[in-house]
Amino acid sequence: MVIITHFRKKCIGCNYCVEIAHQYWRMSKKDGKSVLLGAKEKKGIFTLRTNEAALEANQSAAKACPVNVIQVKEI
Amino acid sequence: MKKRRVELMAPAGNFESMMAAIQGGADAVYFGIEQLNMRARATMNFTLEDLADISKLCQKHQVKSYITLNTILYDHDLSLMKRIVEEALEHGISAVIASDQAVINYAHSKGMPVHISTQTNISNIETVKFYAHFADVMVLARELSLMQVKDITRAIEREQIKGPSGELIRIEVFAHGALCMAISGKCYLSLHTHNSSANRGVCIQNCRRQYEVKDRDEGFEYQIENEYIMSPKDLNTLPFIDKLLDAGVDVLKIEGRARAPEYVKTVTATYRAAINAVQQGTFNQEKVDHWMNEVEKVYNRGFWGGYYLGKKLGEWSDTYGSKATTKKIYLGRGVHYFSKIKVGEFKIESHQLKKGDQLLVTGPTTGVLEFTAEEIQLDNKEVDSVPRGVHCSIKVPEKIRASDKLYKIVEA
Repeated sequence: MVIITHFRKKCIGCNYCVEIAHQYWRMSKKDGKSVLLGAKEKKGIFTLRTNEAALEANQSAAKACPVNVIQVKEI
Repeated sequence: MKKRRVELMAPAGNFESMMAAIQGGADAVYFGIEQLNMRARATMNFTLEDLADISKLCQKHQVKSYITLNTILYDHDLSLMKRIVEEALEHGISAVIASDQAVINYAHSKGMPVHISTQTNISNIETVKFYAHFADVMVLARELSLMQVKDITRAIEREQIKGPSGELIRIEVFAHGALCMAISGKCYLSLHTHNSSANRGVCIQNCRRQYEVKDRDEGFEYQIENEYIMSPKDLNTLPFIDKLLDAGVDVLKIEGRARAPEYVKTVTATYRAAINAVQQGTFNQEKVDHWMNEVEKVYNRGFWGGYYLGKKLGEWSDTYGSKATTKKIYLGRGVHYFSKIKVGEFKIESHQLKKGDQLLVTGPTTGVLEFTAEEIQLDNKEVDSVPRGVHCSIKVPEKIRASDKLYKIVEA
């Protein structure tokens, strides 16, 4: 299983995650920050539990994120 | 030269710095909201919820308040941008500092005063005329010489170039603080190396690092005396602030939304004194020496006069980080204030507090308070020093608040 975590509060809306992993990310037109699709929120931190197929693209997105607010864990 | 009211604008990355700017004698403060400004990292910013408090604080102290909204904008940013402009207008914020045409146009259409950011790189009078359709205040490119600045301000008067308010365009320039190695902040180094765009407010400051230059064909390393080959020293206009004001600028801006509150207070107070001295005709070298001494105490990379006095290159910093002559050491937190006897109770959490120490207290309401520890009491007995881990009482000149931070200032 792959767990993707998004510390959304610190997102600056650069759009990289959407460019790199379009299936998983969208830009919110409401507040200009990115949204991890299907994620569950707890205290401002968004988490998505998904399968191996999500690993590569989201790892690239995490690497590209200039403010390091994306974390990808494989368990 | 006609007598002008020169506005001193100071940076505020948080409420402590905002209070410090006010205490230092700023006429205006500028700050960022959410992520659409040149210091986008959350620690240096306010949120939309803070707008009401900011507005209240600034109105109470009769200080103008400006929101920075000057990054590159994408489509997905537009609705947040509009919300920030609308809420700023609603809360009586004085103006929006903008560079993207979307912000300039939207704020103008809503009747929100606009300042044109230095990011637009205004370097000639025709550009001033263009932006005069939208804005009353314009920040000139930091790369102009004093003569070029003067030519622009004179032309504004001569040609009577007016902004939307019907008043003559007011010219703002940077007076003090960090300089970018690229023209008007248009740098892509950080974006190339770390995907972290300076123009979206997340510059990682590649230029402040050490570099070596190597000939890859033959493997020679060039000998460079100074390895900080891209790191400019900080701008400091104190030695020639009389000439800067004589060039007809109306607003002096101090850079540093990421700086500590005591930096903001010291620099603001120093420039306030300098502006007053010029206007009262008492500006002299002795005063300049004193002011330079003051601003050297807080964060700086060494100083130079920027491009104002001609385009002299090679003024590069030779250190990483600050050359400040003093530094602060964290001691502890405020616990209680006894107003009748003007004594503050503090909890000392690290280091040792000694009688005669230069102390610094900072807090969102307290701002910046500096004083000497003259009377310290521990368990109702006067003592000369206090170790870590205890509560003690110190005589303080003004009110302090619980959770204010206590530091001592020592030589760096």
